[in-house]
Amino acid sequence: METGLLVQMLLGALLGLSVYLPLRCGQLSLATPGFYAIGGTVAALLSTRVPALGSGDAFYPIASVLLEMALAALLTGVLALGLGRVVLRLRGIYLAIATIALVEILRVVTLNLEFTGGALGIFGIPQPFSGPEGYVGLTLILLAVVCWLCDRLEKTRPGRAMAAIRDDELAAASQGINTADTKLLAFVLSALVAGVTGVVAAHFLNSWNAKLGNFDASITTLAFVVFGGSRTWLGPVFGGLLLTALPELLRPVGDLRLIVFGAVILVGPLFFPQGLITPQLFQTLWRRMERSAVPRPQEGRP
Amino acid sequence: MSLLQVENVGVRFGGLQALQAVDLAVQEGEIFGLLGPNGAGKTTLFNVVSGLTAASSGSVRWRGAAIDGLSSHRIARLGIARTFQNLRLFNSLSCLDNVLVGLHQHGRQPPLAALLQTPTFRRRESQLRQQALELLSLFGLDTAAHQNAANLSYGDRRRLEMARALASRPQLLLLDEPAAGMNPSEKDDLKNLIRRVRDEFALTVLIIEHHVPLMLGLCDRLAVLNFGQRIALGSPDQVRHDPAVIEAYLGGTP
Repeated sequence: METGLLVQMLLGALLGLSVYLPLRCGQLSLATPGFYAIGGTVAALLSTRVPALGSGDAFYPIASVLLEMALAALLTGVLALGLGRVVLRLRGIYLAIATIALVEILRVVTLNLEFTGGALGIFGIPQPFSGPEGYVGLTLILLAVVCWLCDRLEKTRPGRAMAAIRDDELAAASQGINTADTKLLAFVLSALVAGVTGVVAAHFLNSWNAKLGNFDASITTLAFVVFGGSRTWLGPVFGGLLLTALPELLRPVGDLRLIVFGAVILVGPLFFPQGLITPQLFQTLWRRMERSAVPRPQEGRP
Repeated sequence: MSLLQVENVGVRFGGLQALQAVDLAVQEGEIFGLLGPNGAGKTTLFNVVSGLTAASSGSVRWRGAAIDGLSSHRIARLGIARTFQNLRLFNSLSCLDNVLVGLHQHGRQPPLAALLQTPTFRRRESQLRQQALELLSLFGLDTAAHQNAANLSYGDRRRLEMARALASRPQLLLLDEPAAGMNPSEKDDLKNLIRRVRDEFALTVLIIEHHVPLMLGLCDRLAVLNFGQRIALGSPDQVRHDPAVIEAYLGGTP
C-alpha cells in the first residue's frame, strides 16, 4: 500500500473521531469539516506568510507545526464554545442543518476572501518531512493521543453523562447532569480534534483551498461513524480507516468503484445498524475466548 | 418549616388548566401520597417540583427557599430525585452504569486524575462501583448488574429506576406510579421496600399511585387531586371518608 494513502486513512480516522464525540452525546453535528477547514487555513496562512516560523528552512520545523496546532486548537475551541452555546439548543436534525450551514458559510467566506487565496487557495505549504513516512508518524501519534483521550472519557464520569444524555436527555438532567455543559464539552472536543487534524492535512496536502471543507466532507465523515459504529471510539477509527482506503483499493474496477463504495455505505448500516464495531461484539469475542481457554468437562463421567 | 411547600401552584397548557391553586406541604420524614383519577394533574405537579414544567402561577419552596425556575439538574442537586411514570432508563447502558449515572453528582474528580488514572482516582471509582452494586443488591438486581437495562423485566426496570434515583442520595424521593404493571405480591413487596428505604436512607417520599389500598396502607398523609384541584388532604382515614373523594371516584353520593 502507498504510504500517502496510509496518512489519508489516519486523517480519516481522526475526522471520524471528531464526528463521533458529539454523536456519543446524541448530538448529530456535521460541523467537523468546518473546523477542519479552519485548522487547515490557519496552518496554510501561518506557514506561508510568516517567515519567522521557518518556511525558508530546508525542512519546516516541527516546533512550528506544533505552534500552528496550538493556535488552530485555540481558534476552533473558542469558536466552538461560542457557537455551541447557541446551536446546541437545537435538537436532532435541526442541529445537523445548523452545522451544515456553518460549514457552508465558512466555505463561502474562504472562497471569497483575498488573503485565503480565493478559489485557488494557498499553494506551496512548506514540508516538515522529506516524505510521507514522517506524516505517518505524526498522524499516528496524534491518533493515539486522541484515542487515549476518548478511551479515558468513555470510562469516566463525563463519558457516562454523555451516554446518559444520548439515551434520555430529560432523565439525565433529573440525575443532576448539566446537560448543556456536557454537550458543549463534546462539541468543543470535536472541534479541537478537527482543527488539529486540519493543520496536519494542510502540510501533507501541500496546498489548501475552500473545497476541502464542504458539505460532501460532512457526509463522508458522518459515514465513517455510521459505518464503523458510534458506541466506542474504535468504531469511527475503523470506519475512517476503511472508508478512506476503499475508493483507492477499488481503483482496479475503474468507474464502478464509486458505485461499489456507495453500496458498501448503504449495505453496512442495513446489516449492522449499530455499526460494525459495538461493545456487544467485544463481549461476544471475550466469551468465545474464555470458553476456548477453559477446557470443557469430559463427557461420559460417572 | 416543611421540607417541600407547594403554594398556590397553577399550570396552564394552552386552554387546559392542568393544575389550579394547589397547596400542600410535605413534612420531613413522611410518606406523602398523591391520589386522583387519570388526568387529575398528579404527574404535572411532579414535573413542576422537579423542574421539568414551569408553573404558570404560584411557587414551590424547598426548605423555605423558592426553587421554581431552577433547571432540573439544579433541583436534582438540591436533593430531589424522581422516577418516571413511563420509565426513563438509560436503555443502552448496563444496570450498573444506570446507577453510576445516578451517582453523578457525587463522583466528581479532577480531570487530570481521571486522565492519568491516579491511585486516588481508582480508589474513588471503585468506591462508586461498590456503592452502585450495594444499591442494586438492595433491589435484588445485583445478578443483573452487567445486563442492559432494556433487557430487564418490567418490574425489575421499575426497581432499577428507584435504585438510580436513590443513588443521588436524595432527601426527597418522588415516585410516579412505582407499582404500575406489578402483580399483587410484587406490590406488597414494594410497600415494604418503600418503607425500608425511607427508614434506611432517612428519606421523605412523595408518591403517586393508582392502587388505593396500597396507598391507604402505606402513606402517612394523602392529598387527592381532581381536575387539577386539591379536593382533600389528610390521614388515610380522613381521606377515605371524605365525601368529595367518594364523589370523584364513584360519581355522586346518594
